[in-house]
Amino acid sequence: MPGTAAGAEYIRPLQRLTHADEPRFGGKSANLGELLAAEIPVPPGFAISTAAFHAFVRDAGLEGRIEGALARITGGDLEAIANASHAISEAMRFAPVPDVVRIEVEQHYAQIGKAAGVASPPVAVRSSAVGEDSADATFAGQQETYLWVRGVQHVCDAVRDCWVSLFSPPAISYRARLGQAQEPPAMGVTVQLMVDAEVSGVMFTCNPVSGDPSMVAVNASWGLGLAVVGGEVTPDDYLVSKVTGEVVREHVHAKQVEYVPDSSGGGAVRVEVPKERRDIACLDQAALAQLIEVGKRVERHFGSHQDIEWALARNNADALFVVQARPVTGLAKKPEKPKPASAMSLIMSSFGAGPPKD
Amino acid sequence: MATTAPTAGAFPSPYEIETPAGCEGWEEMYPYYALFDERRREIDENRFWFWNSMHFPMPMPAFDVICIDSPYQAVGSWQNRVFAVPPAMGIDYRCVNGYIYISGNPVTDPAKIAERAEFFQKRAGYYFGNWSELYGKWRAKMEALIRELGELRVPDLPEYEPDEVAFGDDRNTAFYEVLDAYGRALRLGDLMWQHHFEFLLLGYGAYGTFVEFCKGHLPDIPDQHIAQMVAGIDVLLFRPDAELRRLARLAIEIEVDSAFVQGRAPSEIDAELAETEAGRSWLDELEKVKDPWFNMATGDGLYHYYRSWLDDPSIPYAALIGHIGALNAGEKIDRPTEEIQRERDRLANEYGALLDDETRTSFNDLLNLSRTVFPYVEEHKFFCDYWFLTRWWNKIREFGALLERNGFLEDSEDVFQLSRYEVASALDELVLTWATGGLPLGPKHWPPIVTRRKEILEKLGEWTPPPAIGVTPEAVTDPMTIMLWGVTTERVQEWARQQDGGTVLRGAAASPGVVEGVARVVRSVDQIGDVRDGEILVCGSTSPAWAPIFSKIKATVTDVGGVMSHAAIVAREYGLPAVVGTGRATASVRTGQTIRVDGTEGTVTVLATQEP
Repeated sequence: MPGTAAGAEYIRPLQRLTHADEPRFGGKSANLGELLAAEIPVPPGFAISTAAFHAFVRDAGLEGRIEGALARITGGDLEAIANASHAISEAMRFAPVPDVVRIEVEQHYAQIGKAAGVASPPVAVRSSAVGEDSADATFAGQQETYLWVRGVQHVCDAVRDCWVSLFSPPAISYRARLGQAQEPPAMGVTVQLMVDAEVSGVMFTCNPVSGDPSMVAVNASWGLGLAVVGGEVTPDDYLVSKVTGEVVREHVHAKQVEYVPDSSGGGAVRVEVPKERRDIACLDQAALAQLIEVGKRVERHFGSHQDIEWALARNNADALFVVQARPVTGLAKKPEKPKPASAMSLIMSSFGAGPPKD
Repeated sequence: MATTAPTAGAFPSPYEIETPAGCEGWEEMYPYYALFDERRREIDENRFWFWNSMHFPMPMPAFDVICIDSPYQAVGSWQNRVFAVPPAMGIDYRCVNGYIYISGNPVTDPAKIAERAEFFQKRAGYYFGNWSELYGKWRAKMEALIRELGELRVPDLPEYEPDEVAFGDDRNTAFYEVLDAYGRALRLGDLMWQHHFEFLLLGYGAYGTFVEFCKGHLPDIPDQHIAQMVAGIDVLLFRPDAELRRLARLAIEIEVDSAFVQGRAPSEIDAELAETEAGRSWLDELEKVKDPWFNMATGDGLYHYYRSWLDDPSIPYAALIGHIGALNAGEKIDRPTEEIQRERDRLANEYGALLDDETRTSFNDLLNLSRTVFPYVEEHKFFCDYWFLTRWWNKIREFGALLERNGFLEDSEDVFQLSRYEVASALDELVLTWATGGLPLGPKHWPPIVTRRKEILEKLGEWTPPPAIGVTPEAVTDPMTIMLWGVTTERVQEWARQQDGGTVLRGAAASPGVVEGVARVVRSVDQIGDVRDGEILVCGSTSPAWAPIFSKIKATVTDVGGVMSHAAIVAREYGLPAVVGTGRATASVRTGQTIRVDGTEGTVTVLATQEP
């Protein structure tokens, strides 16, 4: 977003975003806007645009420094990447979030608090990647997430940390793999009211391992979503038929740790799951049915298989919230999918008569 | 067996299996050609044989061997000589400690396969094209055959032949009649088996192709749903229970339901019913239902042990008691055919909607063809395995009774301890000595043999047969083995692994594929520099920080994480096998060990423990 800051849009409430806003606000924020439009339960929040990131870089006079550091990277040289990452991150960490952005954050943050009836509401601050890599963001490691952030200062710090993560070694490596090591990247940020999750997890509206489109695969564990997404627990694992709602497979695992809001009021802490809750299933039939229903709606809205992060709020009957959704990536390919053909030729080939299977 | 590059070792050689103590001489119960004989050891030892536990879960009584020979004669005739299934002829069987192992005969010559394909396409095409008409004719043939079996009389051996034999025109003496009846009984059995397999391969083939198609495109679809989409609404197999429900309603209607008390024997219930007018009319109605609907078998299998409801009414009476109880409690007992129909169509539509247009067309075509063939698939069991076979065993029992009456057997059931040839031999001696008035040796000869064989069978019943013997095939390619027994390459590999023993870790199958390689145990991200190209990463879990090494490794194994964990997602992206959430991989695997990661099954096997 070159040019002057005048007229640039830094922040917009999530419900006013659509898919078309992806280039300026990132995939995550745009998707949440789409979900809200489809009346999927999504916690309220706002999106910070790439213009804010550019303003930050420009105001701090970091443009040349970033270009210079990135220019020294050749191929996938891990050491050069680490050096560039270090140089850029250090510079960014000491730069302030521009006042124009800060003022808008303050206003929108206050609005979230007003709607939720809390003075200083806990929010989640997440990076919202832009461009063709946004679908592969899981892989790229551009999924910086700060949970249970409270107060404008902390929100601004978390936003800046998201921006810094754009230059983490894995993120730079990833762009290098795409042949874009030298191009200056940009990123949006999503700020969303935090759900105090009793249970949270991920669901895929297909089986990501087998590719079966008739299944919803659900991973769930106690507490905030960090434990499942970060791979710190082996979650309970359910495979549920979209067609009949039957639980086709269920594995309950020992869930050793969970993330809960820190009692100090800010941040999330990792604690041991009490023994009596460790080995019990964290979802029942009713919760699964609710999840499948929402999963099917999200999939229908986007018209493709979705990878959905969700949370079940504590002490709340209508507790299910979707906190993000994105297209499923890296679907395992089933090697022997029977090709469509006439019934007779398929039968003939299963008897070894007729055209070969491939 | 159509296999490639067999490897020895995992399964025992058929020639090295020991006879359980006390079972010495078990071989004499079986035909010479059913044994693993030294004279063909070189070939038999190098084939893959699997235990046909689906049809023969128990050690075979000597007479019941006919239910191996006839079916394999029949299935081979249709498969190999009529339809000429291109890559597979018929099935060989062998007997080990009374258990039946089978192995298909492959066709490997490509020219032969092509030649057979022409036969197959023409002939199978004709059957599929005229299925309903041909199946109608088949049912008429089966009904005629069952009638003929019912009309077959097993004559007694009178002291004096009746006057008709002396004065009539069309007359035979009892010696001929007995031998002829026995021969005919065996021939009718053969004929039933011939009919049994006429449609079986094609019927199962069509259904199996639909199942495979579904599983290819919807890998996790429950088998039940596939069956629900195909299953007939109004098939014969549901009639017996439908008739019982009708009789239950009738009993309540005419107020004789109080006779049906939980725990009462059928004979007690009948006795009470016989006391009243209404009860007797109910019993009359029952009689009308019995033929044919009580020709259900009490078990599913090819042994003489399985009887029909006619022989053992405890099952239908228990059902009657249940139905009457449910009706009196105000419950609905009718099979909800409309609902079943609706659900069948709903499932087909919803699954179809998940597929792309082209795939959906194939799906619908296969579904329709499966629905066409399915009445046969379901109903042949009633005609052949239940109705005919339970009556046929009873016919053999009549020969057993004849031998018992003449002292050749202590009990008519003992006839099943003799092979069909031995029964022929015993009958030969019986009619001979009946005719000559001489002293039969049979009463001294057969009972000790029967006693000994019963002991052997009981002991063999305690022995556990290995799932397979002979060489381990690299791949199972015989379509009939896969279609009819579900014995696939994966299944055989799983059996082989179980035989191997060794350390096996289980986790979630997170990214499919199987590879073997050297393990690299990495406990934290700062050690990832140690990982060498082509190693298998074994770690607690991974995060995006680990991303750079995924292009170096061959597979990954983690202690924690599910199928959506970072390691799983990235492994799928790179097409690497992954097993996650093993719980203890970093503790049980050491760097340098050779391991096999099966990301399809979710297992990790330590193969070699050598360290660098």
